[in-house]
Amino acid sequence: MGKQLTEMLKGTLEGIVLATLSDRAAYGYEITAWLREQGFSDIAEGTIYALLVRIEQRGLVDVEKVPSEKGPPRKVYSLNVQGQAYLEEFWKTWSFLSERLDQLRKGGR
Amino acid sequence: MTMSDAEKGGFLAKVIGPKRRWREYQARVRRLPPNQRTAVEAIERYLMHFVPTDGDSSASMFEDLADLFEQAAADGTPIRGIVGDDPVEFAEAFVKNYSDGGYAPARERKRLIADIARSAGEDTAEDDKTL
Repeated sequence: MGKQLTEMLKGTLEGIVLATLSDRAAYGYEITAWLREQGFSDIAEGTIYALLVRIEQRGLVDVEKVPSEKGPPRKVYSLNVQGQAYLEEFWKTWSFLSERLDQLRKGGR
Repeated sequence: MTMSDAEKGGFLAKVIGPKRRWREYQARVRRLPPNQRTAVEAIERYLMHFVPTDGDSSASMFEDLADLFEQAAADGTPIRGIVGDDPVEFAEAFVKNYSDGGYAPARERKRLIADIARSAGEDTAEDDKTL
């Protein structure tokens, strides 16, 4: 993944993760694996984990510890009402930003 | 004069609590596969340079670090798959959740913010109290 993509991703990763959780609950590794499938090949599991901790602390997700066949219990994250509201806000901001950038590319002001 | 039970509880929770959690964390790290253990200890050393918001969040930070590596070890995730190409970036994104700042303590950051506000002619009476 290019340096520029990494930088741009930083500001949007939170929204991306919340969006993946809006379909269904998931644990950290599932989210990382899914993002890698989507072409974000260099994403580290730790990056997603740190982000999940943050959105948990901010009350945007609910967490349930689910026993796993091998290893310690997995923390399964699901979007709650606050997270849903935050995600809507994120999409609004994203629409604004992408519209403005499209305008800029077309040379309009 | 004896301490009340509540005070004793509070005191013990403050001193023994984090200590026990720290020992439990260390025991978990010792049970990790050698490579994971080396990686966790390296990250741990780096995290020590940051100023935690409080003892509880500091303990949670190391417990969460152990959670991440235990799960990754069980899943067979390689070290680079966990921390990525830039371990510093990972560690700093990770520590941000539990810490108020790095080498420059939170107090100094607040001071800088307040000093600049003062130099800009803004009213900083409120900020000064929190220093």
